[in-house]
Amino acid sequence: MMLSWLWRKNTALSAVVDNFSKTALPNAATAVQQAPFLVLDFELTGLNPKKDHIVSMGWVPVRQQEIVLSEARHYLISSPVSVGQSAVYHGLHDHQLKQGQDLAVVLTELLTQYAGYVFVAHHSGLDEQFLRVACQRCFGKTPRFKFIDTMKMEWQRLLRQGKVVKHDALKLPNCLKRHGLPDMANHHALEDAYSSALLLLSQLKLGGNNMTLGDLYLLSR
Amino acid sequence: MEVADVTKFLAETTPFDQLDAPALGHLSSHIKVYYHQAQDHVSISSERLLIVRTGIFSLYSDQQHLLTKLQSGDFYGYQQLLTGLTDNDTLVCDEDGLVYWLDAAAFHQCRYQYKNIDIFFQRLFSRRLHQYREQQQSSRFTLKISDIVQQRKIAIRPEQSVQAAAKLMSDSRVSSLLVEEHDKLVGIVTDRDLRNRVLALGLPASTQVSQVMTRQPQHIDRHAYLYEAVQKMSQHNIHHLPVLEQGVCCGMLTATDIIRSQQDHPVYLIGEIHRQTSVDGLERCSQQISSLAITLSKQQVPAYEAGHIITTVTDALTQRLIYLAQQQLGEPPCVFSWLAFGSQARMDQSLNADQDNALLLEKEPVGEIGDYFSALAEFVCHGLAQCGITLCPGNIMATNSELRLSLKGWSGRFARWIATPTPDALLKASIFFDLRVIDGSKGLFNALQQDILQRTAQAPLFLYHLAQAALQRTAPLGFFKNFILEQDGKHKKGLDLKKRGISLITDLVRVYALSAGIYEVNTRRRLHQLAIQAEMDSKDCQNLNDAFDLLAQLRWEKHQHDLQQGHDVTNLLDPMEISGLARHQLKDSFAVINDAQASLKHRFCRDM
Repeated sequence: MMLSWLWRKNTALSAVVDNFSKTALPNAATAVQQAPFLVLDFELTGLNPKKDHIVSMGWVPVRQQEIVLSEARHYLISSPVSVGQSAVYHGLHDHQLKQGQDLAVVLTELLTQYAGYVFVAHHSGLDEQFLRVACQRCFGKTPRFKFIDTMKMEWQRLLRQGKVVKHDALKLPNCLKRHGLPDMANHHALEDAYSSALLLLSQLKLGGNNMTLGDLYLLSR
Repeated sequence: MEVADVTKFLAETTPFDQLDAPALGHLSSHIKVYYHQAQDHVSISSERLLIVRTGIFSLYSDQQHLLTKLQSGDFYGYQQLLTGLTDNDTLVCDEDGLVYWLDAAAFHQCRYQYKNIDIFFQRLFSRRLHQYREQQQSSRFTLKISDIVQQRKIAIRPEQSVQAAAKLMSDSRVSSLLVEEHDKLVGIVTDRDLRNRVLALGLPASTQVSQVMTRQPQHIDRHAYLYEAVQKMSQHNIHHLPVLEQGVCCGMLTATDIIRSQQDHPVYLIGEIHRQTSVDGLERCSQQISSLAITLSKQQVPAYEAGHIITTVTDALTQRLIYLAQQQLGEPPCVFSWLAFGSQARMDQSLNADQDNALLLEKEPVGEIGDYFSALAEFVCHGLAQCGITLCPGNIMATNSELRLSLKGWSGRFARWIATPTPDALLKASIFFDLRVIDGSKGLFNALQQDILQRTAQAPLFLYHLAQAALQRTAPLGFFKNFILEQDGKHKKGLDLKKRGISLITDLVRVYALSAGIYEVNTRRRLHQLAIQAEMDSKDCQNLNDAFDLLAQLRWEKHQHDLQQGHDVTNLLDPMEISGLARHQLKDSFAVINDAQASLKHRFCRDM
């Protein structure tokens, strides 16, 4: 009885991941103007994905090079430990989690709504690692994510201009300043996601009209 | 979930600063953010409001004049959202920046919900019209109907119900409809008609449109100048003009369209003229003509268009004087047409033009009728003289009793000129063959014009003499392509641009036009029509047109020069005073006239 319950749950939960994985990303030759992006930012309890947890998540989609504010989201994550697995499947509300959303609920929304989107973050390596761990915890498996990193793109850009890149030059507020963008970055997941999205728009413009998604992947390495 | 940066910005931006936090949050969630790089053209075709967040943007008119610069907190696109009309402006990014795009739906919802925000955008819209007038001056004179009328024809059939008409109006968001039967315009119906002729009379919703429409409405050609529409509207006190192209209806021009396109066209002078209640008032208006001319010239309005504008003002003065005369003399005892000859008829009046006018009457000018029109002519001609349009030294004026004739009288006179022409008589009479109705009955005038053209088209002897008269003067070009200068009374040497230039073209084009039965009187339009009807080689027409424009331009500039120097305005140009290029072009123009005269001779004087 208990085993079958777990089994059913697992199938259903991993289906979220499977569906996400099944949805093809736009291919590398796609013009950046056409590609859909989702710019994310997480606030964390620390920098170690194995020990630390996601405290809040924010994201905004970019389509046709426009930030779509109607889909801007910000969630506080209730509990770092994925107590919410069963809650997702059964639809049970855990009334103890008054502070915020269950990580699994938020991840489910993220993976269902934005399958086929190219994910973007500033210093994306960290966010990607936390996202993978979170998926593993919630769904028992993790999809392959394809991230674009606005920080690495900025680094490449500065290098190509022959500039010496000082160590904090790549922090989000400094990048925004360099691009003449309003500096709102304040360690709030949605504000930072929005700021990164602005940075992305500027970087896409600077890349010119012929830039493809493949070029972005290269710049993000 | 709102992005604080966006909401904060909106909260600091008039008029959204009056909204509370939830409303701001709601508004911000309907925004899309776009980043523009310098040189980007902002795509402003879609229906949404642009809010500049950062950067600088330049707004250009369709003539590429810089209208204004937009920066943080400025808006664009509200014009289109408020009126549903597209501008031909272009918005170009000068300095990289972010723009917010607000959905039309959210914009409208916000306007409906907050009256102050609605008022703000309405005011912004009217200020915009106002604010751009300085920069847009050069284009507003030359705007044509086709430049501003929408290519959108909303028509209904006469047998349809007024309810259907009302529904069509409200669906298409217009205030008037064209009424068409078999693709022919038969009337118009406006929302005012629905109120006054249906609702107020308690007619049922099933009433046919044909019962309440205005039949045979005034209309205007799609290629006419805008100020002609202004004139027509103020003269007839109407707000809707169907627009025709080649006789086929293609849309509706409304007073709002005109106001929108040019809040204060100086040919609102015409509107002002039509509001005057005394000759003194008209005189004051006419004093603006010379400053109008200077403005026109400063803005490099082409001479032929300036001539057109000045003629339109003379027309308006005449019309108003006729109106004032009737106020004084009472209703006219019979139908009449006030005619203009010569340059006023051709719509190429210059600043030193004198009066050439006459009266065409429905009945014989005897007894009371004779007295009435004698008084009317006296009033109008002296009124015009008071307004600076000098009395005709040749006495070609309506005050001359020989020029106040019935249709029969005029017809007989033209018949005599045409049937038994003598070169001398024709030289004097040629001016009468350029005629146009300025006020009064158009039908009466049409009858006369038709009568004349029917006679001239079949009168080779008349055309022969008319051509001979047109050939009496030649262009002042010597055998070695040198200019032949002449002297005026003050021993000043020069080229007479009118007598030995413009008039030569006018004269020879007139011969062709009369032989082909063309109704147009304007020289350029005659040429255009001659080319269409293949009465003349289209290349020759084009050359003559160019020569005509050049000569008119030089004369116009000469007049402006004379005015500025405080001299009397003359047509005598010293070729050494113009640039080498202009001299070269002038010689070319004279050569074109020589060629055209040779062709004229060949065509009309060969068989005699």
